[in-house]
Amino acid sequence: MRWLLHILLPILAIFLQSTFFSSYSIKGAVPDLLLLLVIFFSLLGPRKQAPLYGFCCGLFEDLYMGRFIGLNAISKAITAFLLSHLQQNVFKENILVGMMAVFIGTVLNSGMVLLLSLFKFNGIHWDDSLFMTIIFQTLYNALLSGPLYIWYYNSSHYGVLRETEVR
Amino acid sequence: MFKLLRSKFLWLILLILLSAVGLMIFGASGYTEGKNFGPLQVVYAPLHRAAAGITNGFNNFASIFSNKKALQAQVAQMQQQLDALQMENQSLKEYKSEAERLQKLLAFRDTNISTMQLQAAHVIARSPNNWYKNVSIDRGSQDGMAKGMPVICPEGLVGRVTYVTAHSAQVTLITDREIAVGAILEKDRETNGIVEGFGNNTELRMQNIPFYSQIQVYDVIVTSDLSQTYPKGIPIGTVTEVVKEPGGLLLKASLKPAVDFDRLEEVLVIMSYHPQQIPQQ
Repeated sequence: MRWLLHILLPILAIFLQSTFFSSYSIKGAVPDLLLLLVIFFSLLGPRKQAPLYGFCCGLFEDLYMGRFIGLNAISKAITAFLLSHLQQNVFKENILVGMMAVFIGTVLNSGMVLLLSLFKFNGIHWDDSLFMTIIFQTLYNALLSGPLYIWYYNSSHYGVLRETEVR
Repeated sequence: MFKLLRSKFLWLILLILLSAVGLMIFGASGYTEGKNFGPLQVVYAPLHRAAAGITNGFNNFASIFSNKKALQAQVAQMQQQLDALQMENQSLKEYKSEAERLQKLLAFRDTNISTMQLQAAHVIARSPNNWYKNVSIDRGSQDGMAKGMPVICPEGLVGRVTYVTAHSAQVTLITDREIAVGAILEKDRETNGIVEGFGNNTELRMQNIPFYSQIQVYDVIVTSDLSQTYPKGIPIGTVTEVVKEPGGLLLKASLKPAVDFDRLEEVLVIMSYHPQQIPQQ
């Protein structure tokens, strides 16, 4: 059940991003719900599986878009790998920790996407609008992460996303 | 060191990294360009169509109550405009038939937007991330859609069809980083340039404008007849700023797109336009 939900949530996230949230963008920026899931998994899920989960979620997004396969897979895998190291060192029950992790994770992920885009686009026009898009996406993600983190935290400790205890 | 090498976690990370880099190089090589990654779009298309229907229905229903007075005033104003346009339409019909007679007389054939076959489509989904600018429409190969078809709306150029499934298609917008459009200045039809998107739905950039060009702010930019992908004369945007390139030999301009891409709901796909093929050397 837990893994089924881990598969269904990214599918739902892509659907919501391309329909509901694309109509409610802030200055052209839409939130990256898939990235939120990857960050929450990295903080609250099994640490060693976080990069794999990030990779699979990113690959799913790449396959949906059908362009530059691997761009999101590698950026989300690295983001998950880096954030999973915070797991043992932070108080995860604090909502601000979740929001801060999303803030840092979005900046990291955006930076990596831009860096990896150099492979494809032969140089990025770094301008104000690109900078503003990253800023607004980071703020949008951080804002949404509040309620979503509470739900994810409760689910992963007391609800459907809770890990089965090893006997 | 040996302990580290025995760690399954390390090998898992290396495997993920290698697969990701492999995929990326494979993607960047251009092999995947134009290939149809339809299965995911096929699965999502009915969901997108249903969601678009619900959203549009809700918006229409809500607007009845919120804008009743404004709508009544708008209806009255539109009725006046309709009367005036009907008069104008009548005289234009006269001109059109006269132009057709003269064209036949001169055996002159032109590629004009009014002679093309258009297919209307609804926008059912948009790009789920900020890096790509595209929309999904509710028409696919079963409705005659094909890759490369230009997409317009009454305001101007929207983009072109890049992926097609049976019942839906993906349209890459001209604001996307991978799209470039050959363009000219509408007023003098001499100034050529290339309009490029840079991932911002409210701004475009026109490059390679000769330094002697008469381009000014508020000038309208349209597609050029040198473009291989789009029919000529479709509005692209209005000039908002003109600056000199660092070398001083060329100018570049910022444009405000003619189309409001954030509110795009219906588009027209030009079905009968076949871009000229450049012969391979």
